[in-house]
Amino acid sequence: MDAAAEAAEWFIGVFQLGGEWFVAVAGGILPTLIILLTAVNALVSFIGQDRLDRFAALAGREGVQYTFIRYLALPVVAVFTLTNPMCYSMGTFVPERNKPAFYDAAVSFVHPITGLFPHANAGELFVYLGIAAGVEALGFGLGQLALRYLIVGMIVIYIRGLVTQFIVDRMSARREAAAATA
Amino acid sequence: MEGLNSVLEKVGRGVGGVVGRMYQAGRDAIDVVIRTILPFIAFVGLIVGIINATGIGELLANTLSPLASSLAGLLVLSVIIAIPVLSPLLGPGAVIAQIIGVLLGTQIADGNIPPQYALPALFAINPQVGCDFIPVGLSLGEAEPETVEVGVPAILFSRLITGPISVIIAYVFSIGLYS
Repeated sequence: MDAAAEAAEWFIGVFQLGGEWFVAVAGGILPTLIILLTAVNALVSFIGQDRLDRFAALAGREGVQYTFIRYLALPVVAVFTLTNPMCYSMGTFVPERNKPAFYDAAVSFVHPITGLFPHANAGELFVYLGIAAGVEALGFGLGQLALRYLIVGMIVIYIRGLVTQFIVDRMSARREAAAATA
Repeated sequence: MEGLNSVLEKVGRGVGGVVGRMYQAGRDAIDVVIRTILPFIAFVGLIVGIINATGIGELLANTLSPLASSLAGLLVLSVIIAIPVLSPLLGPGAVIAQIIGVLLGTQIADGNIPPQYALPALFAINPQVGCDFIPVGLSLGEAEPETVEVGVPAILFSRLITGPISVIIAYVFSIGLYS
């Protein structure tokens, strides 16, 4: 009987632990997040899709200086305004051969942005929040971590865009060569 | 009098428009919270309960902590996660990355992982980001099927290179953090 009671306690304990976690998280982050979401939604609706589209058209141009727009500025703006997953639709404005690299850059930014702007990927917050909770428990502020996460994220997506572009160009060239000899 | 009326009408319309948009923004925000965020918190809550009660959490944490508390370990972790066959499997919904994030967070809180490793760890657990979603993401950008054919392997291979690079950059940027 004692064993059964112990098992029952253990069983309900699983859900109590989960429940405590639920309340801590829902009470801790949701209120701020809701207000932030509202503010950004309003901002995006005031900016309007037309202005975004005009900016995105710049990303299609040739030249090294435009790679900064294609693999850095446009992914950042797209993820901030359109959020995950609609941000990838901005790939429409990018030339066909650059689309994989643009996607790679954009998708790699959907977590680094969450430290400061959680609205951009509200369904996947715990990559950052999970680790941040540990840092916070030690009594440190999160500003430094969130800011550095954002900056490193921007550097990484630009590099990722260039590397992926390089690989895509190589693979496409090889395919065309194979098609020509076949 | 007519001039005044038209001014009042314009002001009224303007204010109405602004309030309407902000109200809609609030409606959208609550919608996302109820449809996406709360269900996910419930789901992760259940996982947290199970892995803590069963001891899987300790096992995972004991495996991950040594890896996550040195640069070499984090590089190894990032390469494993970026392996082209593995990365699309680890991707969906970032569920695995989020669970690992929560686990590493508890290890940081317990003092098993130094807090300055938080930044490189964020990149080490995430080289697979979006690897499950490449065809859909490219379709959203109206890419041709040929582009998808080349793009999927290109992105997967790119992650093997850029995954470890991201950890190194994050490590450099974590110098002076929380010490």
